[in-house]
Amino acid sequence: MISQFFVLSQRGDNIVFRDYRGDVPKGSTEIFFRKVKFWKEDGEEEAPPVFNIDGVNYFHVKIVGLLFVATTRVNVSPSLVLELLQRIARVIKDYLGILSEDSLRKNFVLVYELLDEVIDFGYVQTTSTEVLKSYVFNEPIVTGAAHLPALGPASLFMQGTKRMPGTAITKSVVANEPGGRKREEIFVDIIEKISVTFSSSGYILTSEIDGTIQMKSYLTGNPEIRLALNEDVCIGRGGRSFYDYISSAGSGTVVLDDCNFHESVHLDSFDMDRTLTLVPPDGEFPVMNYRMTQEFKPPFRITALIEEAGPLRAEVIIKIRAEFPSNVTANTIAVQMPLPTYTTRVSFELEPGAVGQTTDFKEANKRLEWGLKKIVGGAEHTLRAKLTFSQESHGNVTKEAGPVSMTFTIPMYNASRLQVKYLQIEKRSKSYNPYRWVRYITQANSYVARI
Amino acid sequence: MSGHDSKYFSTTKKGEIPELKEELNSQYKDKRKDAVKKVIAAMTVGKDVSSLFTDVVNCMQTENLELKKLVYLYLINYAKSQPDLAILAVNTFVKDSQDPNPLIRALAVRTMGCIRVDKITEYLCDPLQRCLKDDDPYVRKTAAICVAKLYDINAELVEDRGFLDSLKDLISDNNPMVVANAVAALAEIQENSTRPIFEITSNTLSKLLTALNECTEWGQVFILDALSRYKAEDAREAENIVERVTPRLQHANCAVVLSAVKMILQQMELITSTDVVRNLCKKMAPPLVTLLSAEPEIQYVALRNINLIVQKRPTILAHEIKVFFCKYNDPIYVKMEKLEIMIKLASDRNIDQVLLEFKEYATEVDVDFVRKAVRAIGRCAIKLERAAERCISVLLELIKIKVNYVVQEAIIVIKDIFRRYPNTYESIIATLCESLDTLDEPEAKASMIWIIGEYAERIDNADELLEGFLESFPEEPAQVQLQLLTAAVKLFLKKPTEGPQQMIQAVLNNATVETDNPDLRDRAYIYWRLLSTDPEAAKDVVLAEKPVISDDSNQLDPTLLDELLANIATLSSVYHKPPEAFVTRLKTTSLKTEDDYSEAGYSESPAHAAESSASPPSSSSNVPDAASRQPDQPLATAASPVPDLIGDLIGLDNSNSLVPVDQPAAASPSLPVLLPASTGQGLQISAQLVRRDGQIFYSLLFENGSPLLLDGFMIQFNKNTFGLAAVGPLQVPPLQPGTSAATLLPMILFKNVAPGPPNSLLQVAVKNNQQPVWYFNDKISLHVFFTEDGRMERATFLETWKSLPDSNEVLKDYPGLVINSVESTLDKLAASNMFFIAKRKNANQEVLYLSAKIPQGIPFLTELTAALGIPSVKCAVKTPSPELAPLFFEAMESLLKS
Repeated sequence: MISQFFVLSQRGDNIVFRDYRGDVPKGSTEIFFRKVKFWKEDGEEEAPPVFNIDGVNYFHVKIVGLLFVATTRVNVSPSLVLELLQRIARVIKDYLGILSEDSLRKNFVLVYELLDEVIDFGYVQTTSTEVLKSYVFNEPIVTGAAHLPALGPASLFMQGTKRMPGTAITKSVVANEPGGRKREEIFVDIIEKISVTFSSSGYILTSEIDGTIQMKSYLTGNPEIRLALNEDVCIGRGGRSFYDYISSAGSGTVVLDDCNFHESVHLDSFDMDRTLTLVPPDGEFPVMNYRMTQEFKPPFRITALIEEAGPLRAEVIIKIRAEFPSNVTANTIAVQMPLPTYTTRVSFELEPGAVGQTTDFKEANKRLEWGLKKIVGGAEHTLRAKLTFSQESHGNVTKEAGPVSMTFTIPMYNASRLQVKYLQIEKRSKSYNPYRWVRYITQANSYVARI
Repeated sequence: MSGHDSKYFSTTKKGEIPELKEELNSQYKDKRKDAVKKVIAAMTVGKDVSSLFTDVVNCMQTENLELKKLVYLYLINYAKSQPDLAILAVNTFVKDSQDPNPLIRALAVRTMGCIRVDKITEYLCDPLQRCLKDDDPYVRKTAAICVAKLYDINAELVEDRGFLDSLKDLISDNNPMVVANAVAALAEIQENSTRPIFEITSNTLSKLLTALNECTEWGQVFILDALSRYKAEDAREAENIVERVTPRLQHANCAVVLSAVKMILQQMELITSTDVVRNLCKKMAPPLVTLLSAEPEIQYVALRNINLIVQKRPTILAHEIKVFFCKYNDPIYVKMEKLEIMIKLASDRNIDQVLLEFKEYATEVDVDFVRKAVRAIGRCAIKLERAAERCISVLLELIKIKVNYVVQEAIIVIKDIFRRYPNTYESIIATLCESLDTLDEPEAKASMIWIIGEYAERIDNADELLEGFLESFPEEPAQVQLQLLTAAVKLFLKKPTEGPQQMIQAVLNNATVETDNPDLRDRAYIYWRLLSTDPEAAKDVVLAEKPVISDDSNQLDPTLLDELLANIATLSSVYHKPPEAFVTRLKTTSLKTEDDYSEAGYSESPAHAAESSASPPSSSSNVPDAASRQPDQPLATAASPVPDLIGDLIGLDNSNSLVPVDQPAAASPSLPVLLPASTGQGLQISAQLVRRDGQIFYSLLFENGSPLLLDGFMIQFNKNTFGLAAVGPLQVPPLQPGTSAATLLPMILFKNVAPGPPNSLLQVAVKNNQQPVWYFNDKISLHVFFTEDGRMERATFLETWKSLPDSNEVLKDYPGLVINSVESTLDKLAASNMFFIAKRKNANQEVLYLSAKIPQGIPFLTELTAALGIPSVKCAVKTPSPELAPLFFEAMESLLKS
């Protein structure tokens, strides 16, 4: 069980503080903040999420720039505490619509009421927004969503694409709309984070997809929902060894290494027709998490080249090719590459007519940065950079530069080919026809090309 | 309600408290609710609104749940400081616990349990009894936790009133939430009791396994953790249990998965069928790997656990090494753990892939990570004989990049590789020697010197190379000196020519006459004796064949590993330490006392009570329970000059403990006079902060030179830099004219901290019933804060010194001070918890290194330089809090002068 729960701002200000057991001395917030801030003198190294100072164990997670912290003196389950911290954040976000220092401060009475129901004497009671609704009475005061970062991967939908109703994601689950009537709608998001490592010769060394089917329901009366996935999904690599799964790649089936489901999901017919049945609780929650190492086609190919051009000079050429259909557009692409420490100057050369592209050389950490607003499927872009060194490189340039890493977001695209075939909502009346949003998004996790 | 809650934080012109008071007593409900919100807002930002206690409690009788909850929140916070007023709330609590609305019944019991005031606790029993048998599961589950709360306050009461049996009955409750809370409460009570209270029989086992399927995710963790203590009768029962638990591996909640893994691993010990075991291993692998897709914080916990699991059962993840490859955006703490597991899983089959990864990591930016990657390559070489050559060629490639710390790290591991495969890879020594000049880390230097000595006969210019190191012999750290000594002896034995002979003379001289390090001196004398009596014997000893090493770094001792595996999914498995090494929770139940901190103005919040009795290691070591669980801590009681006095102070929970006035320890011989009789209308007060047995006291002497009998003494401290405040009220008996009294007032830190730059001012106010309030100033001398645990290992000292930037070093000259004897100075400083680390001589000057620590773990690393008997002492101090340096220098001065 935990002794205290608190939320600190990036500056170390106390935003929320609740003591459940009184066995941890006062001042724990300062002790904690000091420790985290000065974990290593250079401030570069992050503190691990769990540590012990003078018999007090501190757990923390960082969420939208806030530190969610719990303390205890006993030998608890650390994964329970860390998971709890994430869930508290999610519950608060369900209630407030948006999670920020401002919204927490404006709703402190509600937040304390929630915390009293979520934890009693340090023991978790429930983190289900649905259950909490029966015990919590304060109404949220909704803050302006404007420029604040929202919680969770679903917030990605707010950038760029016009097709999505942007406000939905920052809407409180419990608060009523200003008009009094709640809009009946449900969001199902298939979010995939992909990790790929290319070798220097362009082969794929490792590739992995971490996916989540995330749901956020604003439906009244909790109707039952059926969610059908592609029928050729199969789970587990069976008894086969790690190295021969590739043989299945061509056959078109989607092979998941492992998956797990939210507790509200019934899997009665899953084995037969790959449908999930559930009564979605209020609030945002993952219906299903899955993991896949089956070979897939990476959305981008990266080729990076570094050539010495004299003793104190070198040239870097980075080429990116989008290998997805032309009706799909990736946005907010950022490419980075560490350069040798003795690099003093970099001059960039973009392709003629390039729009929405930025280049930068970060002097402090000797890093090349290339930003692209968007890339249309099938397109190819190139960056040339001329480097000037302060000392001779002794032929080690390739070893001291790189790897090239890349982040991006591709809406309406998923690499795994896992699909929601249909989303059926139990009908209460003929006129009942809530809005259904099924959205796909692919995001880079660790997307790296070695040179 | 409209507007924002934040408006409650705004202040008004009229003075907040009176205005709130008025609003709290308003006839309008809404206004009252708003007022309570404002009070709570003030409370959360740390303002003292305890004076509104009566007015807030008056708002308690309401049907409005929102308001009631707010009032309860207030009560929990302030009841401890207003126990008499808190009684006013009891009636409403008791009434609420019988309310038709189950939410109100539960709320009443929940809140009463949080008010740790004995008088209230008495009234809690009947409502709790009723609520444990309530029709509504929400009330029952709240009551179950409340039993644990009550046990924490008054264990006897819980046992006398039969609450334990009621709690055990709840294990069979039909609501899984109630079952889960009952299990959690019983597990905690068991943890704090020496008697068997919650024993898991096969009957409870089957009940709980059934409840497991219906519980919330959190309840599942409580139940799984409680069940993990169960020892199955035989293999069949173990298999049955495992079968019931295995479906939990598919849970989306990482805590459930890890607790299930723990349970399965434990039962697996009993299972004899290899098929079943193999099958279970296969089932556990995917969920364990899936944990690595969670947030990085959870990944860290999972990796620390997996590290233990693969040591015991390497087959589980033998084919999954790829998932432990580092992602470029992993936080450093995740990367480090992944490396460790990669080494453990490296095999002849995957080593090429693994080496490719390590090589890549070794050119990344983060220095610590790079070093670890280089070391990992070496450890793989030692572990996998067939891959050793490939590992070495990767290391050589890395050395050629000439990044200084990579080279040094590589040399360290190559030394180990030589030990593992003697006479195999010596051809690379020439390449290593090229980097000789760049070595500046002790471990790398020592390794290189070892290599030169060990292979002196194959290195043509070995004597020149060693010569290069010898010039700086006196300044080198001990490990380098030791290696230099041994290498010189080896060289001499292998090449007994003139050069080496001169060298050995110089080294032996340096290592015997010119050093204070006993290890070095002893080793040098042994060599000397050996060489002078029987050089052949010396050869047999020094050049003997060394046993081949294996890679055991980071391998845990099997008994410790088993203990840690039994603690999978707990903090213990993250720290890789047994629970008793870091759990210092006090068995509060054994310290049951009357709580009355309530003298107005001297109130104590619960957090402080806990602080003074639980947190600082020095005081916890006075409680036998904690001390016995913390074998590493020095037992302060044993050496204490006034053990009984201190024992009482702590044991009595610091409440109103009477300090006998005639206690000799209290009357220190010469306390400085702070309030002279001339200013104090005849009353003279002398006082000083003192440290006794790890506790800070204000030692006071009152001398009544007035014609009046003085009584009702009270003391108050103004806010000060260290937040010094009295733990309890001042205990001074009525003073007849012409008499005096001495007392030791226990103090705590960080109670009322004054903002702003640190200073040593302590403002004190003392009053009695006959005279006006006297104010006087005292000076805080930092050395009373020096804690008993301030001693540092030499290595830690060096490391800390190095890790602090130069800007944190502050210098001070004391031209007038003189040190006559090193010994007596060190004794004097040690008495004040300044600990001696090392000393050296620099020309005619003595250089002393000392360490001290103040609460919150702030260290002071000190270098004192002085020539014996000659005035002028130089003091350099390095600390993470350089702003405290002026105070430190004052303390140092007074210590050296005394």
